[in-house]
Amino acid sequence: MSYIRRKLGDLSAYAFILPAFLILGLFLVYPVIWSVVASFKDIKPMALQQAGLFEIPGKIVGFDYYADALQNPLFLKALVNTLYFGIIFVPITMLGSVLLALLVNQKLAGVNFVRTVFFIPYIISVVSASLIFVFLFNGDRGLVNALLSNIGIEGPNWLASSVWAMPVIAIMTCWRNIGYFMLIYLSGLQSIPTDLYEVADVEGASKFEKFRYVTWPLLGRVSLVVMILLLISSLNVFQEVYIMTGGGPADSTTTVPFLIFNRAFKYYEIGPAAAMSYILFVIVIIITIIQKKLVDKRLG
Amino acid sequence: MHAKKLLPTIVMWVFGVLFFLPVYWLVASSLKSDAEITRFPPTFWPETMVWKNYPEIWDLLKFNVTSLNSLTVAVPTVLLTVLFSSMAGYAFSKKRFLGKDAMFVVLIATMTVPPTVLLLPLYFIITKLGMFDTLLGLILPFSVTVFAIFFTKQSIDDIPNEMLEAAKVDGSGDFRTFFQIVIPLLRPTLTALIIIDFVQNWNSFTMPLVLLQSESNFTLPLKLALMAQESVSIPWSKILAANVLTLLPVLILFIAMQKQFVAGLMAGAVKG
Repeated sequence: MSYIRRKLGDLSAYAFILPAFLILGLFLVYPVIWSVVASFKDIKPMALQQAGLFEIPGKIVGFDYYADALQNPLFLKALVNTLYFGIIFVPITMLGSVLLALLVNQKLAGVNFVRTVFFIPYIISVVSASLIFVFLFNGDRGLVNALLSNIGIEGPNWLASSVWAMPVIAIMTCWRNIGYFMLIYLSGLQSIPTDLYEVADVEGASKFEKFRYVTWPLLGRVSLVVMILLLISSLNVFQEVYIMTGGGPADSTTTVPFLIFNRAFKYYEIGPAAAMSYILFVIVIIITIIQKKLVDKRLG
Repeated sequence: MHAKKLLPTIVMWVFGVLFFLPVYWLVASSLKSDAEITRFPPTFWPETMVWKNYPEIWDLLKFNVTSLNSLTVAVPTVLLTVLFSSMAGYAFSKKRFLGKDAMFVVLIATMTVPPTVLLLPLYFIITKLGMFDTLLGLILPFSVTVFAIFFTKQSIDDIPNEMLEAAKVDGSGDFRTFFQIVIPLLRPTLTALIIIDFVQNWNSFTMPLVLLQSESNFTLPLKLALMAQESVSIPWSKILAANVLTLLPVLILFIAMQKQFVAGLMAGAVKG
């Protein structure tokens, strides 16, 4: 009896954990399971309507939907588009946030004010930011083309161009995120003990050497984490596409989440959409494992 | 000021202006007339301030209803998140119970789940519970977050056990200790959490898009997005005015509570 008592721990603990347990169980853990089961089943929307909460009706089709997705030209195109987004978004955001962090880590005139300015885009919703950028990059009367025409360049109709639409979406996302990642770098920079720099001064290190041997290694460590966060957020681009381009022109901005959304909510293809979302999940897991290996290697 | 600081100062301000430009352009354009907004090249400053764009778009946006809907979602969600997550954080930090380690591992693992994976099942689960096209369907599923549990647990870890044991010796029950000792000590953490969670819920778009059907239930970002997409008849100046109205509440909140907000985000960032 006392053994069971000891095993159970504090009885009041269960009351404290209960709301979180129920809510996360039903709205986070169960959906993850639901999706994986659904990805192996041919689910008819009608049957699903009549099913109970914990029923997932349908014939088992095995890995068919996974195979279909990997042979679907639009899915592969969406993967390439997502990659195109990432290639622009990740490096610019990393470089931008490091550069700004190094700048605002100094005692410059108005530094606190400008820090706030850098951060404001992050609290602006994706919906609002997308609408602002649609207007800025408007082909006929946008500010960007007006500025370009001042230096004699005739700007394209950005969001109607299959070459330029994705870069505009990526630049908007950079603008929204740089301020946040600048803060992460800044907190990293400020956690470097000042004695390290003092020691370097005593040793007669040059400014470059201080950067090379004190600041740089820290930036490397932080960058590893930042890069993974950015890679993962590259895989989750949906709202910006929904609002700015609707996936076009000619599917050039259709990202994987946007494709999944359409499959699920426009065509009610439940199984295929679930399978695609799990492929995305697997990619995230692979990236996370690689990150963990890299971090362990660097710190170990 | 040292001369050698001049260059970085200039560079910093140039970037500052560049970052602020979209926001400036948003506000300036929202005050232009329907004719002026279509002109090319655009005027940098409105020739005449058309303030009446705002009352007009207020009506089109049904701002009274939509902003009330947004508040009806955001406020209860934030309050429940603070309560439920700090309760769970307390249990994880200071209590022993069956399956604690396993649950903690599951929580960490869920942080890698892409939101896209959850979208479809959440739609079905919420519909099955009879909460489709209700604001409750946007509140209940988001009334605990894994981030908030870790965030509060981290601060509760810093509360010395002796303090809680002393309360116990004085005859304070577990819940009394939690509400009268733990919660007050968490004040800075919870303030930060409230702001972060409020901004997140206020800005939320994808879930309302999937779960809401009747216009009378629409939240602000959803109404704004659909308005911008559906109507070619509304001039851009008014769409941008609607945009200003939508983001003003979080902007004011952010500027008023900047310090706590930033501190909270950075604490979260280290975890993430």
